[in-house]
Amino acid sequence: MSATQREELEPSTARPGRGGGTWSLLGSELAVLFRRRRTQAMLAALAMVPILIAVAVRIENPGDEGPPFLGSITSNGLFVSLTAMTVSIPLFLPLTIGVVAGDTLAGEASLGTLRYLLVAPAGRLRLLVVKYAGAAAFCLAAGGVIALAGALIGALLFPVGPVTLLSGDVVGLGGYLGRLLLLVAYVTLSMLGLSAIGLFISSLTTVPVGAMAATVVLAGAAQILGQLPQLEVIHPYLFSYHWFGFADVLREPVAFDSFTRNALLQLAYVAIFGTLAYGRFSTKDVLT
Amino acid sequence: MRRLTRWIPALAAPLLVVGGAVAVPLVADADPGLPDRTPEQVLELIATADDTSFSGTVEQTSELGLPELPEQLGQGDGSVTDLLTGTHTARVFVDGEKSRVQVMDRLAERDVVVNGEDVWLWSSDDQTAVHTTLPEHQRSGPVGDGGATPAEVADRLLEAAGPSTDIQVTDTATVAGRAVYQLTLDPRTDETLVDAATLSVDAETGMPLAVTIRAVGQNEPAFQIGFTEVDYATPDADRFEFTPPAGAEVVEKTLPEHDGPARDRDEGADREGPEPVVTGQDWATVVELPVGEVPEDAMVQQLTVPVEGGRALQTSLVSVLITEDGRVLAGAVPVDTLVAAAR
Repeated sequence: MSATQREELEPSTARPGRGGGTWSLLGSELAVLFRRRRTQAMLAALAMVPILIAVAVRIENPGDEGPPFLGSITSNGLFVSLTAMTVSIPLFLPLTIGVVAGDTLAGEASLGTLRYLLVAPAGRLRLLVVKYAGAAAFCLAAGGVIALAGALIGALLFPVGPVTLLSGDVVGLGGYLGRLLLLVAYVTLSMLGLSAIGLFISSLTTVPVGAMAATVVLAGAAQILGQLPQLEVIHPYLFSYHWFGFADVLREPVAFDSFTRNALLQLAYVAIFGTLAYGRFSTKDVLT
Repeated sequence: MRRLTRWIPALAAPLLVVGGAVAVPLVADADPGLPDRTPEQVLELIATADDTSFSGTVEQTSELGLPELPEQLGQGDGSVTDLLTGTHTARVFVDGEKSRVQVMDRLAERDVVVNGEDVWLWSSDDQTAVHTTLPEHQRSGPVGDGGATPAEVADRLLEAAGPSTDIQVTDTATVAGRAVYQLTLDPRTDETLVDAATLSVDAETGMPLAVTIRAVGQNEPAFQIGFTEVDYATPDADRFEFTPPAGAEVVEKTLPEHDGPARDRDEGADREGPEPVVTGQDWATVVELPVGEVPEDAMVQQLTVPVEGGRALQTSLVSVLITEDGRVLAGAVPVDTLVAAAR
């Protein structure tokens, strides 16, 4: 422990409050991440998704048209979070996560703070892990904000009652909250592979915007490939393959198959791109 | 040199992932080492199957050589195209006469719940629940849906397989974690499009866990249905209690006396009229049904090709001929046979 502490002595000068073990490094990373205006603005934008949906439905009843669950909102406000999640998964979530993951290493490099963090060579792996954990924490926060904002605005504007699951069974408020937690866990898990890709791209460049854009473009490209029936063979290997499998937590009983398969798939992406990022980052000459 | 070692994890990780993806199914599908059985013994095993209560996940794939339909078109609407293309996953719960099938669509679900005389069809997409009461004499098999489990498909195949079929035990394997005997039904006739059908029969319980039907001249199986997961424990009784949720549209349907239980659930209740004419034998059976009116919509036009005396749909496994005078002929035979039968 003392050896690692010594390694941290140098980086501790880079930012106030940094020092000690990995946990305090993680703590300061999270504090910096979530205190950043950009992060707060993105979370606020994500919260706007359910709010806009709820207000729009309040103004005009959509009937049976539109994305799944939209028609159920008028009779039960708790469906707002489900509709918002469906709408956010293909675009808004990958977009914001691309920004955070693309910024991880390239952001520090462009600010010139990376070399202070890296004075001790053995610290690189730990820094990488902490940076990735920060991106993962943002995934969790992003999913949580959508779910929470959706449930709150729905309860505010519409009547709230027992929720009808996809299977036609009905759960009460407690069951709904349990499902919502599972849903957020599923969405967070779904985005871990993309975060790892973003981390790797971020290690390649010192221009954060480039890494962000590349990550977001990959998220879009994966989904387009997933739409083409001619490429059916590769579909199960795309990191976006199980993104819409979150519906399985809304069945009775909960279908955990897609949870497991999604976890394995994301784990494979994290392993491959995490180690690539390590290879690149640990051999990189940090000049700026 | 030191820099190169840092890339070792990046080289190892893909190998590990690919290795795992290859090895895990290999281990799962390992030869179970079952004692040899004759076809008669396996048929006997099926006949005395202990399959009164179970639950599991069933996956069904059709590769009929039809053009790929966009997902929005083909999925979740319960139409014919739905069964003909792509892959479908359903969860099945059976306890004696009670059963529930949950077809898991993308962000939606269709349920068929059979509990005694009550049958509920639920669709999450339209939020409708259709209720039917079965007359006493029609409460027979567990699932009234015709082809929801491999066992039902297997039963139908075995019914169709007469003396014109060569039945052999070809292999043992593992399906859904259970050791199975593979029983191959090979039609002796050349008149059918069916090359062979393989039933995977649970060595312990005798329940068919998977069915694969191969078509003549096609490498991929034309039709596959099988458990990916099976559990012989009695399912929770709550599964079979269906109460339409508040806000759902509830439709009450009464069955005409002579009709089967939801055999054709799209039109089951209002199908009436003349009995179908059956010609041919066993695998080469042709069913002829007067429909009166030839459907003209774009889907039919797109899927069928004009032939002598009508329009025909040719898939790798089944052919359908719609004649100009309003008859529909279908069978697991080439279109030419149907055209000949229509004359």
